[in-house]
Amino acid sequence: MKEKKYSIKKDFTLLALLLIPIAVAINFAGGQLASLLKLPLYLDTIGTIFVAMLCGPWVGGLAGLITNLVLGIANPIYIPFAIVNVAVGLVTGYLARKGMFANWWKWIISMVIMALASIITAAPIVVLMFGGITSSGTSLITATLMATGAGIWGAVISTELVFTVLDRIISFGITYLILRVVPERTLIKFSLGAAYIKTKKTAETVEEVTEADEDVDNL
Amino acid sequence: MWQEKLRIKKSNPIHGLYPFTKMWITLLYCICAMILSTITIDGYPVYMMASFLIIPVLAAATGVLKKISGVIKSIAIISLFIVLIQGILIKSDLILYSLNVFNLFNINFYTDSLQYGLVLAFSVLNMGCMVAWFFGATDNKELINAFEKRGMGPKASYVLLSTLQMIGVLQKSAKTIMSAQQARGVETEGNVFVRSKAFIPSMIPLILGSITNTEERVLTLESKGFLVKGEKTRLFDVKPNGKEPIALTIGILYAVAILIWRILLWVL
Repeated sequence: MKEKKYSIKKDFTLLALLLIPIAVAINFAGGQLASLLKLPLYLDTIGTIFVAMLCGPWVGGLAGLITNLVLGIANPIYIPFAIVNVAVGLVTGYLARKGMFANWWKWIISMVIMALASIITAAPIVVLMFGGITSSGTSLITATLMATGAGIWGAVISTELVFTVLDRIISFGITYLILRVVPERTLIKFSLGAAYIKTKKTAETVEEVTEADEDVDNL
Repeated sequence: MWQEKLRIKKSNPIHGLYPFTKMWITLLYCICAMILSTITIDGYPVYMMASFLIIPVLAAATGVLKKISGVIKSIAIISLFIVLIQGILIKSDLILYSLNVFNLFNINFYTDSLQYGLVLAFSVLNMGCMVAWFFGATDNKELINAFEKRGMGPKASYVLLSTLQMIGVLQKSAKTIMSAQQARGVETEGNVFVRSKAFIPSMIPLILGSITNTEERVLTLESKGFLVKGEKTRLFDVKPNGKEPIALTIGILYAVAILIWRILLWVL
């Protein structure tokens, strides 16, 4: 395949711009659904991951930034964590450009890189700004670890490790399922969308086409 | 559904300040809180703790105390936990107070850790509540309009404004989709795995639906000349209410006074 050239300005097409509000709203809705279902995870980066995989790092990063700023309107505690969400967008976007979502083992490597990026950015904020405590229920686990004698960094990082990895596995899983069912005519409009069509071009698609042909014949 | 507010009338002089003035006041206050955290009595950041009292008074004077009291409460709870966790779990040399629980074990409060915890907690409380005041007293629309007048592109302001609208719309449809899936027999109650499984059939239709809508929105905007270059007209316009110089002067005087105090303490 030909090497594609990227520029920040070209990343922000009208479609990409309009996808940013959607991504932010998906982040919100994901978080809300997670709390409605009483899941012990945030699941509030699905939109960021999704838009970064389709439109590249800058759009993803911006979506992450806006998400936390808007969350900050309701509760300013979220504002410092914007860095984490921006990192999620940037890292996912670059991984997508490098074609790191082409097959299953690349997905797993990407997932690990993503989780690491989140922990590296989140842990210092949690420890230095909030003294190890955030508004989530996972803080109880951090506190328990600290009570058993672990240092504050160790406690925060190990709690984050478990929950971030779980969070990313579910978020990625959902993004993967969505990318599989987004119509190809939509995917092709995004700068990185073509990559996900290729993975879909299997016997399944051929079958669908033949089925559709049969339907036409039956008419 | 979303209703367009063309005019926002604010009779309260503080509430009606220009968004940037409120932003400067917020910024000055946060800087002052940082400076105050370095002035301590016996190691306790008493002045910073006292300066927090300004916020409820300011919010009451602005008329938004009720609106932001929920946020203040949630930040206060986090701050309380920060103090407790730091004071009890981070061990240092001096024990300030030892609480004996039923003669079984002691809960120790460590002096150094408690002081550090108080600095952290009140920094979070001061800045968090001040930012909450800012957003409580400023409509998003006013803020974005002010930014646009300062030269922010119409594309950026469209993205920000439609984000704020989209959240409400998508949250509503998330609930609708979830109850629809419940009606079809998707289990939403049970153990963690059952509930996790319910997450997927709610999330996927939501995202797919919104992407399809986005394509249509692109066509709509293009047909309405969104990408046409040239002067854009606006229906909504934010104006200063004339009290800005007074408000800014008070803010700057407060900041300068604290700065001088800090420097004097260093010099003397």
